[in-house]
Amino acid sequence: MIPVFNESSVIADVVAEVRSVFPNVVTVDDGSSDETWDVLRRNSPHPLRHLINRGQGAAIQTGTDYALAQGAARIAHFDADGQHRLEDLVRMVKGVADGECDIALGNRFSGDASTVPAFRKLILRGGILFHRVVSGVRLNDVHNGLRVFSRRAAFKMEITADRMAHASELIDLIARSDLPIKEFPVTIRYSEYSKAKGQRWTNGFRILFHYLVARIAG
Amino acid sequence: MTPIQIAIIACLVGLASFVGIAGATRKIARPIALLWLVMLLVGILATLDPNRTTVIARGLGIDRGTDLLLYALVLAVLQGFLIFYLRLRKVRRELTILVRRLAILEAPGGSPAPEPTDCTEQP
Repeated sequence: MIPVFNESSVIADVVAEVRSVFPNVVTVDDGSSDETWDVLRRNSPHPLRHLINRGQGAAIQTGTDYALAQGAARIAHFDADGQHRLEDLVRMVKGVADGECDIALGNRFSGDASTVPAFRKLILRGGILFHRVVSGVRLNDVHNGLRVFSRRAAFKMEITADRMAHASELIDLIARSDLPIKEFPVTIRYSEYSKAKGQRWTNGFRILFHYLVARIAG
Repeated sequence: MTPIQIAIIACLVGLASFVGIAGATRKIARPIALLWLVMLLVGILATLDPNRTTVIARGLGIDRGTDLLLYALVLAVLQGFLIFYLRLRKVRRELTILVRRLAILEAPGGSPAPEPTDCTEQP
């Protein structure tokens, strides 16, 4: 399942790549203002659309609900900008399918972490430490968009955070699910395109703020 | 009374009558309307006799009535921000639910989303 926002230039290739191995690609256009929706309608077997931009967390939840309703046995999250490698996804899906775990999470630090820019590494490390303290979950890469869930795990992931704080919320849900988790080493392709599209480090603080408000105000 | 006092009091009385009518017709909950009326009355009294606020402030250990009003204003504004922020969050969340539901209804072979609460029946 690929949440998509303004990715018309790359999304056709990303969908085609994933589709070459996994035929049931669900794409959720999160209210893009470019031609993303037209591209998805032509290239995606399951194109869904948010009429208004509601954030990646909401898009992921829409795709998950749809996939579960269609009877999906496993659900994978894959980023739309081409930063994830298909071979990593294949390994993770196999891990869940073989019963190694119910939740497979990509970990960019245990693989070839040299591709992660130094400053980004520092910010992400801060996030990891934060989650160790508040959620008590020992994960090594908490904001990686590459994830695979078994059907029963996907049912437990009910994201309410709209914006990027959903990654933090997911970690809480994962920690509370009591299902077996495994981290898989993955390599992120930090292209100029994905870096430009990606999160700015200042967003880390916005995420922290929204996350804390959600924890307090519910 | 100075012209500015007259203008401020006129505004406060106007607001008070609005709140009074809204409370009487139950457009606003009565306790809330009453609270507003009390606050507006305090405002009118403070405008009529600003020195009285200093007497109250002294009683609270603050030197000037102006400072007391400033503190009260800061608290009121912060509380207002918080209430609006929480309301906005709620509206956003409701909007998200609608947009998400619509996306699934419009999907190819679309069917309403299941309620993802009970997973015991799942294989």
